[in-house]
Amino acid sequence: MSATDTGGRVSRFGSAVAEGWTRERFGLIGALVLVLVAFAPPFQVYLFTDFLVVALFALGFNLLYGYTGLLSFGHGLFYAGGAYGIAIVLRDLGPVIADVVGAGISPLVTFLVGGVVGLVLVVAVAVPVGWLSVRLEEIYFALITLAFGMLGYSLIIQDPAGLTNGTDGVIVLLGTVDLGGVSLRVGGRRIYYAISAVTVVAATYGVWRVVNSPFGTVCKAIRESPDRAVALGIDVGHHRWMTFIVSAAVVGVAGVLRAGLASVASPGLTHWSTSAIAVIATVIGGATYFYGPIVGAFIFLYIRWAISRFPALEAYWELFFGALLIAVVLFFKQGAVGGLMLIRDRLVGDDADEPSDDDARTTDGDGS
Amino acid sequence: MTTVLKTEDLRKRFGELTAVDDVSIEIDDDKITSIIGPNGAGKTTFYNLLTGVLQPTSGSIWLRSEGGGELADVTDAEPHEVAQAGLSRSYQITNIFEGLTVRENVRVARISHEGTRLDFRSRATADESVEADIEELLDLTGLTDIADTPCDTLSHGEKRTVEIALALAIEPNVFLLDEPTAGMNPTEVTEIVSLIRELDADLDATFVVTEHNMDVVTDISDRIVVLAEGAILADGSPEDVLTDERVTEAYLGSDSV
Repeated sequence: MSATDTGGRVSRFGSAVAEGWTRERFGLIGALVLVLVAFAPPFQVYLFTDFLVVALFALGFNLLYGYTGLLSFGHGLFYAGGAYGIAIVLRDLGPVIADVVGAGISPLVTFLVGGVVGLVLVVAVAVPVGWLSVRLEEIYFALITLAFGMLGYSLIIQDPAGLTNGTDGVIVLLGTVDLGGVSLRVGGRRIYYAISAVTVVAATYGVWRVVNSPFGTVCKAIRESPDRAVALGIDVGHHRWMTFIVSAAVVGVAGVLRAGLASVASPGLTHWSTSAIAVIATVIGGATYFYGPIVGAFIFLYIRWAISRFPALEAYWELFFGALLIAVVLFFKQGAVGGLMLIRDRLVGDDADEPSDDDARTTDGDGS
Repeated sequence: MTTVLKTEDLRKRFGELTAVDDVSIEIDDDKITSIIGPNGAGKTTFYNLLTGVLQPTSGSIWLRSEGGGELADVTDAEPHEVAQAGLSRSYQITNIFEGLTVRENVRVARISHEGTRLDFRSRATADESVEADIEELLDLTGLTDIADTPCDTLSHGEKRTVEIALALAIEPNVFLLDEPTAGMNPTEVTEIVSLIRELDADLDATFVVTEHNMDVVTDISDRIVVLAEGAILADGSPEDVLTDERVTEAYLGSDSV
């Protein structure tokens, strides 16, 4: 009897915790964390910004992978597209824009123009690349996207048009906004963190809206069974293409932020090893959950940082990640978020499925 | 009586093999038509031609558009276009969106039918008329109680019912049921047969069934078409067809019944 009692109490405790974790509270805590981080030491601000950018990169990638069932190994191409778009605008159009809007505000205007140009560039690349890639599935899709990514890598290094400055990449100088008495360095750790946080939160909300829209619902259906979707009248090829473009655009926004954070747009961004970061973060976090890529990016960057604090281990950090990835793939197919859900279910008890007398939990209202 | 689906000299060759051999057939809207035949008779190829998954070597396919318009040539249509034109199918091997709930499965089909799949701004659940349509269909197919259950946790019989609900959610003119009782136990067979009867009575869609279970075939069919070696061997009422000597021979001649 006492064992059951204890079980019930634990279960009730779990329920109370679970019920406390409403979306509103999550949002409030998230907002609080975002504000508090701004007051952290500069390096921590930088690391957290890095996390936000990689999270958006993985989130955009997962629109295609977790939601539509297409594993791209070339999303670095769009990461680089956003980065080079803004870097080239800053380098070549900065003076022109300064002439038009005045030197004081021009760094901010140039940043915005560069962001838009980066995004347009990414979409312009994603339209043909996606059109060709979505003809293939599974491993063939992974390989063709990998090939496109590496094609971009070669083009950026060869630099036939004289725009990308070869292996050195394009230096990004964000400049200082000067409004009479107030001057703000756009590339300053905290200012840039604020810009990134606002952008990533807005983009994340956008992606969330997309996955919960009719469009996103159809994506999930295609992931589950493409031929059934076709039999219901859905043009699966077209839908995959559209998803590819949206996914690339989100990654492009992350690329724009990456350029400012790293102060350079470099060819490595479209190397397959950069594309793999999105894959790894998503798999570690859990591709089937909306927040999976975000959690995965957090784990990826903070574990890498933790390892880097031990010089003896640092040389082996990739080895460590390999081991972590193997463990996740073998034992936690649903990733870290899946693992957390499992723990939550344990705490709450399995009474979600079976009717019980426990009044601490109601199963009403958690439908679709 | 109206013809809703018609094939003219439909033929499909795979190299030397003629899988479907000059099949001309008219499906009428006032009957449940069963297409039967021994394994290898060409039923699956015939279905794949009708749904646009395979392109015929020669011949044509005509489908009546929604609202009783004229027969339209759909021979060269893409599979999704055939579905949009009013031909829906269920699968012999259950093919539903396993990771989604029953309600979400049906919602996907309704989004397709409403033509809102590119809408990325509204919430998928926001359209009240769509949600009402989903409720109605779930009610009609008896799936209301398990509406919010993920499909990968359903029983085989329940999945087979979702299979049917999905195909019906796009409001087809013609509904091809591919072995609806596949893998079912006798109780489930009885249930699905009475469901098919009810649905046929309630809905405008014309039902075409392939089925191995001969009891089911004789039970629900108004008309039976027998395929053998890709060609129509017999065509008529169940009494006529099942007493036809050639049919008995075709079945006895193969060990696959």
